[in-house]
Amino acid sequence: MKKLLTGNEAVAEGIIESGTEVVCGYPGTPSTEVIQTLLPKAKELGIHIEWSVNEKVASEIATAASWAGKRAIVTMKMSGLNVASDSLCSIIYSGCRGGLVIYVVDDPGVSAGMVEQDSRYYAKLGVAPMLDISSQQESLDFVKLAFEVSEKIKGPVFLRSTASISHVASDVKIGKRVELKREAHFERDISKYTKPKASWCMNQHQDSLTRLNEASKIVDSRVNQVHLEGKYGVIVSGAAWENFQEAVNRYNLKLSWLKIGIVNPLPDEKIKEFLKDIDKLLVLEELEPFIEAEVMRISFLSGKKIDILGKFDGTLSMMGSYSFKEIKKSLEALLKVKLESEQNSEIIKRAEELEVKRPTSFCIGCPHRGTYYAINKAIKKLKYKKKDIIVTGDIGCTILGMNKPFETCWTEVAMGASIGLAQGFKWAGIEKPVLATIGDSTFFHAGIPPLINAVYQNVSLTIIILDNGWTAMTGFQENPGTIPLKDTNPMRIDIVEVCKGCGAKDISVIDPYHLKESIDVIAEAIEHPGVSVVVSRRECALQSRRRKVNLPKLKVNPDKCTGCRVCLSSLACPAMIFHPKDKKGLMEITSSCNGCGLCKDVCPEEAIEVIKDAV
Amino acid sequence: MQYNIYLAGVGGQGVVRLSEIIARYAMEKGKRVKFYKEIGLAQRGGPVHCEVRIGDVFGPRIPPLSSNIMVIMELSEVLKALELIKPKGVVILNKKKVYPIDMMAHPERYPKQEEIIKLLNDAKAEIIWIDAEKIALEVGLPIAENNVLLGALSSISSFDKECILNVLRKSIPREIDKNIAAFNKGYEVVNPIR
Repeated sequence: MKKLLTGNEAVAEGIIESGTEVVCGYPGTPSTEVIQTLLPKAKELGIHIEWSVNEKVASEIATAASWAGKRAIVTMKMSGLNVASDSLCSIIYSGCRGGLVIYVVDDPGVSAGMVEQDSRYYAKLGVAPMLDISSQQESLDFVKLAFEVSEKIKGPVFLRSTASISHVASDVKIGKRVELKREAHFERDISKYTKPKASWCMNQHQDSLTRLNEASKIVDSRVNQVHLEGKYGVIVSGAAWENFQEAVNRYNLKLSWLKIGIVNPLPDEKIKEFLKDIDKLLVLEELEPFIEAEVMRISFLSGKKIDILGKFDGTLSMMGSYSFKEIKKSLEALLKVKLESEQNSEIIKRAEELEVKRPTSFCIGCPHRGTYYAINKAIKKLKYKKKDIIVTGDIGCTILGMNKPFETCWTEVAMGASIGLAQGFKWAGIEKPVLATIGDSTFFHAGIPPLINAVYQNVSLTIIILDNGWTAMTGFQENPGTIPLKDTNPMRIDIVEVCKGCGAKDISVIDPYHLKESIDVIAEAIEHPGVSVVVSRRECALQSRRRKVNLPKLKVNPDKCTGCRVCLSSLACPAMIFHPKDKKGLMEITSSCNGCGLCKDVCPEEAIEVIKDAV
Repeated sequence: MQYNIYLAGVGGQGVVRLSEIIARYAMEKGKRVKFYKEIGLAQRGGPVHCEVRIGDVFGPRIPPLSSNIMVIMELSEVLKALELIKPKGVVILNKKKVYPIDMMAHPERYPKQEEIIKLLNDAKAEIIWIDAEKIALEVGLPIAENNVLLGALSSISSFDKECILNVLRKSIPREIDKNIAAFNKGYEVVNPIR
């Protein structure tokens, strides 16, 4: 049977079919949909599935489940692997009992912000095998294979995908679920599960290296494919595979190829054998020349001179996701032929000039709109210029405060980093106030240690926690601060209490829909010596609308509106439309209004009114 | 054989739902499918575009000059896809314009319709105009604009009408009759070309 599944959905299906009993992760594009797909089925499947507080904790949970004999998987985006790596590097040395799979999705081409990190290097650094997925079907099949390998070698296995596979859907052949229901059991073995002695650590290192070789033997013939047809060769891996196949079929190309499905360890012998028949080679892999460098090593050691096209000679870029066009161009370079003409560049240039750019702002009714408006006004109220006040931003919806019309945030580094950076600016000698903004989920994830540090070191800074109750940017996942609902966890951890527990003394709570009060409270907090925390609390407007919490909408009184457009320029709310009408312009608030009421407060003419009786 | 469909619009117009119905239809027909969706920050006013590739396809995205048909729900969004139009390929243009935030106060900055048409003509596209908003209003369901266009696309592409209507029925939660009416109106306003 076939189903239309994205790469991530296919991984979810693979998890079900493999009999996995513990699934955890932290949301992050382009990996989120694995747990997003599974979580609603948790009860029916009878297995534990959770959004953990961060990727490191998620990895530890999955690991212990595997040590107790269960199959377990942890999912994350590439940045999450950086967070998890501290634990994972140690875990890999110890190995595992039940199958343990680490699913990570890279984002070449940056579909969702952040770095173009090549996570394949973690497999080398951590000394663990890594399978590299190149299609939606493999997304399912490799999950099952990864569990099989992990249990055979008794060590964790990395499973890596990229956005152009994880987010694209295709017809995927699905199989049957195996239910394992293993009994949990763990035996004490400190030479394997602790690391206080050099000899134990080095033995564990040796074990990891041995496991790598075993993994390679098990999967070699199953994931690496060879096709021999002439002296021109291509070594291809990951997402580049599909566009390569598209080109081979479209132009009926005659060439040899080796498709690699395990990137650590690489199939040295197979590559050596393949190179024997090749005079000119193209290496197709997105991001860094990970395979290409190794192919050069293998070719050097085998003493055969081969022309190698790839990143080192500039044929291909180390940036972005490879389009069909780029793959086609590289094949043209390999074969020294012209394969097909393209659209007239004049037409494309002209179209690009005319194109309508659609800058993103906050959603209709977003509480962050009120918070950033209030921060800017508080800065002004204290007679500072906006250009003089550093506001460090953080990951998630809250970073949109860097965009027009607010332009409040200055930096974005990593989860929780806004609070750490703010302290560094103060110690560097920035005398004017420094502010940090951070969302609720980001705060729980990695914002607590830097808050404790700031309190302990008594740094003067203001931390604004924008608490909308959801991990909204990635698609409204629950987090420890989410209000208990029918479908969510009944526990709720109050950020204010967490801040108190971290030793913060000056903590205030505002409702960002109440602008005047918010401005005053933020201004006071900025003036407060030492650490001040403002929790700006109001549920994500899209989520509260889904829950039918409707606020009265607003309308423009056409007699009072002068068409000054202050509302538009200060809030940029997508619910507003401006109708230029003769000399006098007129604003309209469309029915998509979520009733935040901010426009009413910023209108200098008092021309915006609440629609009474309408909810 | 490949059939490559490019669909574009802005958040809230139902581009993804429309595309998904086509992808599911192709599955029903036992075809291979690649379904790419770029959603990004659609909720926050961003553009949305999907690519549905049917038949002997491998890559996730439509290669240059290979789109057999386009459905453009927001007029200017076609400008981002000119590279893909196959000569003689069909472009179904909806008349709708949606201004981004920084253009709201200056609608005159929106690209001129004549210029868009000229570029499409230069790219040798076969343009088919549809006022989907008007038709959707006629059937009494303004949000069914996407289904008007689905009807038009199905007719032009000579899709199995019964089959795609079945997929449509399964995928819409409410107002089924009005959605089907919107589909039928779209189906009737165009003529199949293949």
